[in-house]
Amino acid sequence: MTKRSHHAEIATGKGDPQCFSNTTSAPSKFKVGDKVRIKELPDIFYTRTQVYTRGAVGEVAVVTHESPAPEDESWDNTDHSEWFYIVRFRQKDLWPEYPDCYANDTLQTEFSERWLEAVK
Amino acid sequence: MSDHDHSHGHRPPAPMVEEISDFEILEIAVRELAIEKGLFSADDHRRFTEFAESIGPLPAARLVARAWLDPEFKKRALEDGVKASLEVGVNWLDPTGFGTPSDYTDLRVLEDTPTVKHVVVCTLCSCYPRPILGHSPEWYRTPNYRRRVVRWPRQVLSEFGLQLPPEIDVRVEDSNQKCRFMVLPMRPAGTEGWTEDQLAEIVTRDCMIGVALPHPDRKVDDKRPVHPAVNPVHH
Amino acid sequence: MNLRNKQNPPKDAPYPDIFDHKMFRDWMRTPHDVGGEDDVPMQFEEKQEEQWELNTYVTCECLAWRGIWNAEERRRRQNVDIGNAMYLGLPYYGRWLLAAARIMVDKQHVTLTELMNKMEEVKKRHD
Repeated sequence: MTKRSHHAEIATGKGDPQCFSNTTSAPSKFKVGDKVRIKELPDIFYTRTQVYTRGAVGEVAVVTHESPAPEDESWDNTDHSEWFYIVRFRQKDLWPEYPDCYANDTLQTEFSERWLEAVK
Repeated sequence: MSDHDHSHGHRPPAPMVEEISDFEILEIAVRELAIEKGLFSADDHRRFTEFAESIGPLPAARLVARAWLDPEFKKRALEDGVKASLEVGVNWLDPTGFGTPSDYTDLRVLEDTPTVKHVVVCTLCSCYPRPILGHSPEWYRTPNYRRRVVRWPRQVLSEFGLQLPPEIDVRVEDSNQKCRFMVLPMRPAGTEGWTEDQLAEIVTRDCMIGVALPHPDRKVDDKRPVHPAVNPVHH
Repeated sequence: MNLRNKQNPPKDAPYPDIFDHKMFRDWMRTPHDVGGEDDVPMQFEEKQEEQWELNTYVTCECLAWRGIWNAEERRRRQNVDIGNAMYLGLPYYGRWLLAAARIMVDKQHVTLTELMNKMEEVKKRHD
């Protein structure tokens, strides 16, 4: 008997990540405009949180959706979901050599909630 | 003595078309075994192949053109990209009923403004909004583009022929999770009174990745070298 | 940090006490995480797709469609588990193909013996 995931059953007609709507145990911790820092969590074996973002401070630009974190989904552990956020950084805060004359250039990328901590 | 002495470091001649490569052997083996073992059916493979061959950038170009002409549509597109895609003939749930496994169903449209220019990359792999934009170009998948565009975006854009003044901020979108992104560029001057069809014609794939700007005189992406295939896709 | 540029350790299988935190972090870096690494301008090209590449893409998506894996499992295996040397040394769709073959063996849908035999058979067909 071939072991298959039941993903198709739960997602048909809805899509993914829609199939994970209302599956988190708590409301989203952050909202648009919140200042957040990217945490340095152990990234053993797998992560989709880029090294170039670690420790950087940015602003939540979009609260996107609920989904299992990639660290879990990549082993088909889909029992727990997290809120995801697009966080916007000033390029000057990511790269030491980024030129001052382009001080307003930004970069944004997406994180699951576990990677974010509030900044006062 | 032949003047093709390979000890001088010349590339050996390309393999004859009849010679099968290791990748081709493995590909056939994997596909046949998967079908034999019932992992998926030959019909599944055929149907998904049809889908893969049907997608391209035209629906996204139409979305952009319609957004330029219809402010209400633009609002809808910015609010819910997947729902708005239906209006240009793209159902993100195709062909499986829950979407493509790799592209998911959360399209975000990034609106360029007079002061913000977006450019999209996936530094971790090559995530791309296939259902509405087609397949990603080769360069988009390279470690080179993925390394450089996040850190030196203006340099990379200038290599695509795009020089942006300091008054325009460059915003890089690193597409690293389930959201998929396309750029809604600014409507260029010189297109006053154009129809949606006319406008869609000048919105090329590179404009919606963000490395090019639409121009009234340009209907195709800038020419670049095309690395040929040994056994290209046959239609 | 691109390990290709790192100085090689003095010997294979080094002693653990030479590993400081930075060295450990450098070795743990997932190969796909290349954003911001040094590189130089290159000619950006298009590529004509091979038939086997299209077939590979479709096979990988069909395996996910029918629940053998999901795209995130595929990405982990294809872009990280293979390690930095293969990540940079193999063709893009070569990695997709190897990941598809590997998932079938790892999840015991086929045995490696069956895969070997099938590859031999396919090879003989084209001799």
